[in-house]
Amino acid sequence: MDHSSTVSVGIIANPASGRDIRRLTAKASVFSTAEKANMVQRLLGPFGALGVEQVLMMPDTRGIASAVRRAVETNPARELPAWPRVEFIEQDLLGGPEDSQVAAHLMEQAGARIIVVLGGDGTHRVVAAAVPAIPLATLSTGTNNVFPDWREATVTGIATALYASGRVARQVALRRNKRLRVELGDRIEIALVDACVTRLTHVGARAIWEPETITELFVAFAEPDAIGLSSIAAMIEPVSRDAPYGAHLSCTPDGRRVLAPIAPGVLESIAVDHFGRMEPGVPHLVHAERGSIALDGEREIEFHRGQVPKVSLELDGPETLNVTETLAAAVALGVLADSRVELELQ
Amino acid sequence: MSKTLNREGLLEAYRTMRTIREFEERVHTDFATGEIPGFVHLYAGEEASATGVCMHLKGKDCIASTHRGHGHCIAKGVDPIEMMAEIWGKSTGSCKGKGGSMHIADLSKGMLGANGIVGGGGPLICGTALASKMRGDKTVGICFFGDGASNQGTILEAMNLATVWSLPAVFVAENNGYAETTSSSWSVSCDNIADRASAFGMPGVIVDGFDFFAVYEAAGEAIKRAREGGGPTLVEVKVSRYYGHFEGDQQTYRADGEVKKLREEKDCLMQFRRHVTADGEISNADLDAIDSEVLALINESVVRAKADPKPEAADLLTDVYVSY
Repeated sequence: MDHSSTVSVGIIANPASGRDIRRLTAKASVFSTAEKANMVQRLLGPFGALGVEQVLMMPDTRGIASAVRRAVETNPARELPAWPRVEFIEQDLLGGPEDSQVAAHLMEQAGARIIVVLGGDGTHRVVAAAVPAIPLATLSTGTNNVFPDWREATVTGIATALYASGRVARQVALRRNKRLRVELGDRIEIALVDACVTRLTHVGARAIWEPETITELFVAFAEPDAIGLSSIAAMIEPVSRDAPYGAHLSCTPDGRRVLAPIAPGVLESIAVDHFGRMEPGVPHLVHAERGSIALDGEREIEFHRGQVPKVSLELDGPETLNVTETLAAAVALGVLADSRVELELQ
Repeated sequence: MSKTLNREGLLEAYRTMRTIREFEERVHTDFATGEIPGFVHLYAGEEASATGVCMHLKGKDCIASTHRGHGHCIAKGVDPIEMMAEIWGKSTGSCKGKGGSMHIADLSKGMLGANGIVGGGGPLICGTALASKMRGDKTVGICFFGDGASNQGTILEAMNLATVWSLPAVFVAENNGYAETTSSSWSVSCDNIADRASAFGMPGVIVDGFDFFAVYEAAGEAIKRAREGGGPTLVEVKVSRYYGHFEGDQQTYRADGEVKKLREEKDCLMQFRRHVTADGEISNADLDAIDSEVLALINESVVRAKADPKPEAADLLTDVYVSY
């Protein structure tokens, strides 16, 4: 697993996550820069206590990295538990998703054993596409947070350190995810949750919040308690994260009505006229002759007449940290409890 | 679908952005000759912001602008010929040549004025939005301001008041990265201006100011919300200006090649053209024709501005007071 002797963990906190138009159209959550910086600091305590020696952090121009830097500098003065050495990746910042891609590549080259990602489905998609061989510890700071965990950062920090330091084995700590592969000519993109074909011909403000704009939907998994576009499929037939298949559906105005929360605060009735399973490796051709494709809730790809995008399901998507299993294993192994303490267990 | 523009709408958007660009490029050239009096702050690079917002507005909707106001004026329908005359200080100008670049106003178009006071537009828009609410006529007020103004008390007070009174107002923060010569990443404490919205109990969103469609969609939702009585919204438009804070600014605070890279890779007109011509809905020839018409209009505006008379000494005593 480890090609470096240093126990090194990466952190990518997307400064842009949780701020798009869905704050306006759907009352979606706001994750401020200050809260993201706080979450990073809540990771550092467990990292320091459980054997992480080095943290590689993505810089940004929006204040997360500078707040963390200030905290790192004052941490010893406040006599808090030791944090690991925090190093900021040296990269030219462009202010877009390419910053996360570059940071992920540089963390991989520097020997990071796992990358903690703070973002929504979109941020995780970008990092997973950039470094498919590196496992991700996921934290939700986005709009639709279907793929990443909704969890206190401290706990994710403990599990991340247990895995990175080798205390809990890879086979237990990590889970394999599915992904969708979207092809348009030479362009290949991935989605971790859903790929949605829309009538909107431009990427624009990226989000989708009007159901009449949806023509087709492809899902890697669809859970009935999830938010976002995958919930449309889930309300017809759930597809678990572990199932070796996905699902696809198409929409027409006179189809069967399905009530689904397609965005935070937006419960809409969607007309579905076809629903079927997606088997891995079988490409599905998009039917619309023009429009755009949203990957994990955000329009990313515009296609025009004469272009036919293809969507297929792959089972060898990114590995993510299973925090619940990792902590359960650590408890069973006695990693977190002092063995000198006599406990009366019933 | 509120977000979809037809062919006519797309061509209108392009014409507005192109008019702003051509106007600003021409003022940039002519100011260097020393013939234009006063001070000018150019909007080139930010065209998608004013256009994406103002395309949703009707005649009686109001906007309050900034010292960098030419783009807002054109997008709200102020006559470029009168604007050019105003900048040249001629009596045929929008304000009879007495205002100049930083005070162009046309109340008949709902344009309350460019404004030399940084952050001055917030209270004005609270006033017009309160009037809209009391009249019940579903009009809205738009306050354009910059990253520098986002730190001014007037803007913060206006956002508070707009929420308290649930006013039909939209605050559009055009964050071009610099307050005069100071980087916003240094001077804006929370870095994203939109983050301040939640403190006032209003939604705050961020959009790419080089992408007309992104601005158009976000502004459309915010304006719709305001018209329907939903209250104010803060829209932060991340953008950049192609020229200095003012004409003559040496811009030593900017990185080498910063503007060149933006012009080549992100320019709003370039992106718009590429998008709308991609599937043949609009041809390059359609857009080239608009370019020619706009160029002719701006040429005419300069020819007329140069030839038009200056105000007379007696004009000093007119338009000083307003009686209600």
